[in-house]
Amino acid sequence: MTDLSVKIGSLVLKNPVMVASGTFGYAEEFKDFFDLNQIGGIITKTVTLEPRPGNAPPRIAETASGMLNSIGLPNVGVEHFIIEKMPFLQPLSTKIIVNVAGKTGEDFVEAVVRLEDVDRIDAYELNYSCPNVKEGGLTFSANAAIAEQVTRNVRKVTNRPLIAKLTPNVTSISEIGKAVENGGADAVSAINTLVGMAVDLGKKRPKLSTITGGLSGPAIKPVALAKVFELVQNLSIPVIAIGGIMNATDALEFLLTGAVAIQVGTANFINPRAPLDILEGVRDYFDKNRIDGISSFIGSIKT
Amino acid sequence: MSGNKILTEATVKHLEEIAENIFRMHLYEPHIAQTSHAGQFVNIQIAQGTTIFWRRPFSIHSTNPESGIFEILFNAVGRGTQVLKKIKNGAKLNLVGPLGNTFNHAPHLEEIIIVAGGLGIAPFKLLLQDLRKQQLKKTVFFGVSSTANLCCLDEFSRLGAKCRVSTEDGSKGYHGFVTDDLQNYLQELPDSSHRELLVCGPTPMLRKVQEIAQTLQINAQVSVENIMACGFGACMGCPVQLAHPHDDGKRYLLACKDGPVFNMDEILLDD
Ligand SMILES: Cc1cc2nc3c(=O)[nH]c(=O)nc-3n(C[C@H](O)[C@H](O)[C@H](O)COP(=O)(O)O)c2cc1C
Ligand code: FES
Repeated sequence: MTDLSVKIGSLVLKNPVMVASGTFGYAEEFKDFFDLNQIGGIITKTVTLEPRPGNAPPRIAETASGMLNSIGLPNVGVEHFIIEKMPFLQPLSTKIIVNVAGKTGEDFVEAVVRLEDVDRIDAYELNYSCPNVKEGGLTFSANAAIAEQVTRNVRKVTNRPLIAKLTPNVTSISEIGKAVENGGADAVSAINTLVGMAVDLGKKRPKLSTITGGLSGPAIKPVALAKVFELVQNLSIPVIAIGGIMNATDALEFLLTGAVAIQVGTANFINPRAPLDILEGVRDYFDKNRIDGISSFIGSIKT
Repeated sequence: MSGNKILTEATVKHLEEIAENIFRMHLYEPHIAQTSHAGQFVNIQIAQGTTIFWRRPFSIHSTNPESGIFEILFNAVGRGTQVLKKIKNGAKLNLVGPLGNTFNHAPHLEEIIIVAGGLGIAPFKLLLQDLRKQQLKKTVFFGVSSTANLCCLDEFSRLGAKCRVSTEDGSKGYHGFVTDDLQNYLQELPDSSHRELLVCGPTPMLRKVQEIAQTLQINAQVSVENIMACGFGACMGCPVQLAHPHDDGKRYLLACKDGPVFNMDEILLDD
């Protein structure tokens, strides 16, 4: 059996299949569907310093080959997260990556400082890119100087690996990628959702309460592949791929393009066992094609 | 107790049109048939196509634990249900369930009053099955637009319920809204204590029942029908707003996980 382990800075995953923030709850929601310890890592729903109620309904809309969401980062806040959500995650033998967001740069730092005392957090993913937060989640990821500064400030308070999650809703994703690399990020993950809109003709209004939302699912896979490719070409830190990954073929395409690992997102809603199915498919592919060593496969796309 | 939610395949055993464009599907899946209770639902994958991307939630209409069969009801109006009504016997449907919570009435009631509008009737056959052995009065108020949309009445009678039908066109039973018939009934009772309303249907109907229940101080439980992506609390896409948050802010519960059954005075109904 091929060794599927991959390295993201000092973080070693037993395999490259993880689950994306906001699509896997706090993992407990999926415990009836498969053995969570099989997969490489779990990224939690975004946690913020203070609790957030989330946006008014309707928060979701079905679209062709995907969906729009404007959930608005509802969460219990970092204090309750530690008390209520971490105890389920701590005993797991997969990597636990806590996704953090803030209204200000200081919020990111404070939330991470609070999480530093907590056991079994293997890395942080900094959500610079949620399009659904009015206070401007986008400013962090759309402005290279700010993204670099926030990353540098968080870097000062933790030795745990830092993954900066990037938005595709910018002119140049690799410019932001280079900025967070300079700021001390160990890896980037991309992409978050694409800004989109859906209209209800009958009700003559937008389908989402916030008018626009974030598009995800198979519809965005080609965009994600292009952005991942661009990042791989331009950065020296590892790239983690997200965007429309529904099956093992999708996952393998991203690895071939140069991503060291992948995150399964919207697919979890359609097939709650998708992460395991994808992992088994990836393993089969390597076994059948006698590829020994995932590292020789990653980035081996011929261009 | 309800069983764990599972990802499984159910076999289509029978499909019948029981009223105009209203279908009843019999599905074989023993875990669902043996562990589900009234109010719970299954989330069915209808097609792996480009236009029907999400699963679709369906109330569990009835169960037969011995045969392993359970039933769902649907109105073939949407993109998903149009596909579902053409499915052949023997076909397999991928589903997740049982999901959600259950109706949970107080002990020592004198009467359970079911109020259903249109397809809101779906969860109540299982409710009457669950209550079969309980000695209490069961009354069903069922509102539809016309006789052609009526279903389930014989079975409900067999399960010990007294049915009162309202039609908006007056083609059968009370001529008008089911909530008016309900209001007349409740007002004529000498005493409305020891009764509980269990409600499912379109929002305008729910609003009216909420008002009646408040005025007469009757406890009411409602099963809400939100759009859903996952159905088990992972996407947070199905919020229901709390009527009385413990602070001034907005607070939400999740229809799929905290519901679909809520106390009516606990939530705000949206359009
Ligand atoms: C319902 C929903 C909620 C999401 N919530 C978050 C979140 O809280 N934090 C975050 O960083 N990304 C969030 N995302 C973005 C996903 O993690 C992912 O980047 C995006 O959906 C693209 O991947 P996909 O096409 O596989 O879903 C959310 C996506 C969806 C669909
Ligand atoms: S439908 Fe996903 S949380 Fe309710």
